[in-house]
Amino acid sequence: MMNYNNDSILYRWIRGILANKKAVLGTSLVGFFIFISIFGQLFTKDPTAFLSTPLSPPSADYWFGTNGQGQDVFAQTIAGSRQTLLVGFTTGFLVVIIGSLIGGVSGYYGGRTDDILSLLINVFLVMPGLPLMVILASWLPPGPLTLIGVLSLTGWAWNARVIRSQMMAFKNRDFVSAAIISGERNIRIIVVEIMPRMLSLIASSFIGATIYSIGAQVALEFLGLGDVSTITWGNNLYWASNDLALLTGSWWTFVPTGLSVAIISFSLTLINFGIDEVTNPRLISERIWKEKISNSDTINGITPVRKINE
Amino acid sequence: MLIKYFRTNPYPIVALYFFLIGCEESDHEGKRALTIYQESQASWVRNFNPLTPAGSARWPTSSGIYEPLFIYNSVKAEYVPWLGLDYNWNSENTVLYLTTRSGVKWSDGKLFTAEDVAFTFNLKKIHAGLDTRDSWSYLKEVKALNDSTVKFEFKRVYVPGFDDVAGQPIVAKHIWKYVEDPIKFTNPDPVGTGPFTEVSRFESQIWELNKNLNYWQKGKPEIDKLKFPTFPGNEQVTLALISGKLDWAGAFIPAIDRVFVEKDPENHRYWFPQTGHTTFFYLNTKKSIFTDKTVRKAISYAIDRDLVVKVGMYDYTVPAHLTGVSGQMSKWHPPDIEKKENWVKYSPKKANEILDSLGYSKNSSGTRETQNGEVLSFDIIIVTGWSDWIRSAQIISKNLEGIGINARVKTYDFGAWISRMQKGEFDMAIGWAEKGTTPFPLYKGMMASEYIKPVGTVADGNWHRFNHPLADSLFREFEKTSDRNEIREILFGLQYLFIDQAPAIPLFAEASWAECNTKYFTNFPSEKNPYATLSPNYPPENLFVLVNLKNK
Amino acid sequence: MNQSLIYLIRRLGFYLVAGWAAITLNFFIPRLMPGDPASIIFARFRGKLKPEAMNALRETFGLTDEPLIGQYWTYLKSIVQGDFGISIAYFPEPVTSVIASGLSWTIFLAGTSLIISFAIGTFLGTLIAWNRGGKLDSILPPSLAFIGAFPYFWLAMVFLYLFGFKLGWFPLGHSYSDSVTPGANIQFVLSAIYHAILPALTMILVSIGGWMLSMRNTMISTLGADYITFARAKGLRSRLIMLRYAARNAILPNFTGFGMALGFVLSGALLTEIIFSYPGQGYLLLQAVTSQDFPLMQGVFMTITFTVLAANWLVDIAILFLDPRTRS
Repeated sequence: MMNYNNDSILYRWIRGILANKKAVLGTSLVGFFIFISIFGQLFTKDPTAFLSTPLSPPSADYWFGTNGQGQDVFAQTIAGSRQTLLVGFTTGFLVVIIGSLIGGVSGYYGGRTDDILSLLINVFLVMPGLPLMVILASWLPPGPLTLIGVLSLTGWAWNARVIRSQMMAFKNRDFVSAAIISGERNIRIIVVEIMPRMLSLIASSFIGATIYSIGAQVALEFLGLGDVSTITWGNNLYWASNDLALLTGSWWTFVPTGLSVAIISFSLTLINFGIDEVTNPRLISERIWKEKISNSDTINGITPVRKINE
Repeated sequence: MLIKYFRTNPYPIVALYFFLIGCEESDHEGKRALTIYQESQASWVRNFNPLTPAGSARWPTSSGIYEPLFIYNSVKAEYVPWLGLDYNWNSENTVLYLTTRSGVKWSDGKLFTAEDVAFTFNLKKIHAGLDTRDSWSYLKEVKALNDSTVKFEFKRVYVPGFDDVAGQPIVAKHIWKYVEDPIKFTNPDPVGTGPFTEVSRFESQIWELNKNLNYWQKGKPEIDKLKFPTFPGNEQVTLALISGKLDWAGAFIPAIDRVFVEKDPENHRYWFPQTGHTTFFYLNTKKSIFTDKTVRKAISYAIDRDLVVKVGMYDYTVPAHLTGVSGQMSKWHPPDIEKKENWVKYSPKKANEILDSLGYSKNSSGTRETQNGEVLSFDIIIVTGWSDWIRSAQIISKNLEGIGINARVKTYDFGAWISRMQKGEFDMAIGWAEKGTTPFPLYKGMMASEYIKPVGTVADGNWHRFNHPLADSLFREFEKTSDRNEIREILFGLQYLFIDQAPAIPLFAEASWAECNTKYFTNFPSEKNPYATLSPNYPPENLFVLVNLKNK
Repeated sequence: MNQSLIYLIRRLGFYLVAGWAAITLNFFIPRLMPGDPASIIFARFRGKLKPEAMNALRETFGLTDEPLIGQYWTYLKSIVQGDFGISIAYFPEPVTSVIASGLSWTIFLAGTSLIISFAIGTFLGTLIAWNRGGKLDSILPPSLAFIGAFPYFWLAMVFLYLFGFKLGWFPLGHSYSDSVTPGANIQFVLSAIYHAILPALTMILVSIGGWMLSMRNTMISTLGADYITFARAKGLRSRLIMLRYAARNAILPNFTGFGMALGFVLSGALLTEIIFSYPGQGYLLLQAVTSQDFPLMQGVFMTITFTVLAANWLVDIAILFLDPRTRS
């Protein structure tokens, strides 16, 4: 039975997450991919070498077959994870930082500051994302920095808005009024009182932003707007498409990368599900009930009325 | 509720589906139209003005609806009289007399005369924006002497001007003299002399062109109608080709035997003849170590053209010739050309020797440095989406790595790429070169001082900024003469100069892309029947095909 | 009601300012890009145009040397008059007619997909939230989330290949069959629907998970409210509570999201249009970008911005009607 009295919010939160099945599954998968992206290349062949007959199906030598240039698809898939994940997580991080900063300040201070910052947020929200990304990415020199910059620029506003509403909701709560009355400085209130409670929101925003960034990155690179000479998942798909992967029936040049993107995005979503289940108050009390009920007997499918604290 | 209903009663949905399919099937009413892919567009805009800047009007406006005076057949390497019959120069080569064909009618029935030709050229004089060939930089006056003779008076001696004059699409005086702004005029219902002039249908995703019943070649064209669906990109074109929905296309298709031909070996054909021209690897000759011609040749030695052609171009073409012209253009080679030093032959050993002897030694990471310790590290810039060139550049990059030069492939969108090229703000790039009926435009574009602008200023040509006094004097001479022997001698001189100076590095011969489906139509040009090039991408040569195709 | 009017006008005022800011940004961004349109058109021909043609091209496009501020004023003036100038990539078509050619198809495809996706998604979300812990709840969210995790274009290409090419059940592209003439006839309508099925299906599949989840979340919060418990205690029918009380309240926050998505309908279909050769706005924009067609780029951006702002404002009005709490 969870004791909500003495442990810090952070500690409780982490324990909750670790107990949640979805979050654990998601985290392990993500961890697996991160591990591969860092160390995987030690175990594979050189992804840039032109090794064998182009477009040959998977075999013992080449587990995922070869692509249109005769390169090893397995090595390429593993090599591609590195930059894609790096850009993905960095962008997610940046988006959350910028979004929290602007959204938080705007929501907390209100008044003039809020008006101006809200305007800024809404202007950016109104910008059509994909077209703007296409334009910027095609103009700037290709590479991971451009991608991070473009994706952060087009993505932070959504996050800011969410954080802002949450900040405004918190601002009206009793514990904040109490802190203000007792003379606590604003900065301290934000950092010590409010932020820890926003942890789940920030965490799921980070994950959401990462998912968005991985997807948008892959889309831009598919259109040929990334740095085409680097190996990334998006570029792998770009080349596969250029080599008419589907039309030649060479599904192996196309499917592994697509699946990888799907699996990691899905795993991140799982983590989000988990966080949600742990922190959504309604879901928490439901879970307590479920635990309690599953431990007790039911009589003819009907739960007898009991006291909670037993 | 609804879901439950359909679960127990699926027939309405199934019936609807088949009904939908049924509406699709009514495809062939009468003879099938020749379905063509030439332009990549997502949605058609109705513009048939042959005089505005290229790309605005629908293909085949300038070479299908309208026609030029003479057409150069690159496969047969000869000029074919079309709306023009014959021509000759006066003794000083300052006046060109041109005879036009009689018996030609416009599609509205009126007679075509020399007046139309003179009118077309004079229209370009009045509205400079139409003069995309810059004809009036060398023309002084154009007049029709009678119904079938046109007199072109030149400002200065410029014999190659004939190529420009010959290729000009001619418009009808009786229509265009009433057009207020010919630059913005979209010409929605064109009147032309060409084989297909009647726009029978125009919608955003498809348009159709019917044949000209008044066409001057009797009995031609045999085909009744051309059809143009929209295709935004290569994958869509390939899909249509494979499914037999396209009859004629000019697209680059990787692994074409497996993807296209295998689906219908009887009818799916392709032909990629070389155009005689070359794709080049450009080095910015005003930059760093590239000012030295020996270095340029060393880099050329390092490139494995066979691998580039095999992996980058799917073996569709061959490595370039030393002079930059090959195929049909080989007839312009000097007889002793094979004896000269062949720096397009793959020899990394030679490349390393040259660089070593020049004092560029390798540092600890294997990259070479100059005497002042400057690392030899450069960017190769390519246009985003031109994947055949990107692949080629990646191979070259690996080749250069092998001789100690670090070359990174960087892609830029059109605008950014062209801007860098024109301003000379690049290290290395793959690019095309000027074309013509002789190698003259190639070498002029490659070595003429008149195009050069300082680095940072936009130049119209010669982006790699190479010049040589001998080149300029040879160009002057060439422009003044119409004597065949003199022309040959000058071209020899240019080629010797080119292979001595290596202003740019020839990579591979340019191939033209063309596919066709012989299921419903025959008499497409092919290797066995090379009466013209098969590709629709080279106006006005596509007129040969349009006029000669037959129904099966 | 006076309060509501003031609120709406305040919102309108805000949208106007946001719109102006967006317009100004739209003006500057294309101009900061390198290269000029004449050079690009010239370059597209890979050597078939003479270098001398450049000047002719530049003059044709009327590229002026006016200072930036001057150009900006001209730009603002013409926007107000509804004149977006002449397209460069599709010269000499005016920008408005180029945009018009693609607008209707994008709205049809993307708009219908969005509405269907939202409708089905929210309905499923309601069901799942109501039957918490049931079979649907454990299957749908993960599976739809997984499908939505694939890169959209990947799914679209696989679908096109499988159902269009291999199985031949659906057409390979375009918005209607070549043998049908557009117009007010039943064949055209049916053909348009037939051609829209596959692209719409891919768009719906990828987005439906999102709508379902957000509806489910808001439903869960709503279901915790007292009045729901009260209604249940009173013995009202399950379905009535679910739809008339819970869903009706839970859908409101999602409506804002729907409004925003509606605005973005014009820009979102880019990848779909490319893959299915669908003649819409998205590909038009891509072409405008690659041809450095300033007027067309600005025109498309304007249309999208205007639609987003208008959609947002309409949603504000709608919520005012649907949610009595905002009227207080």
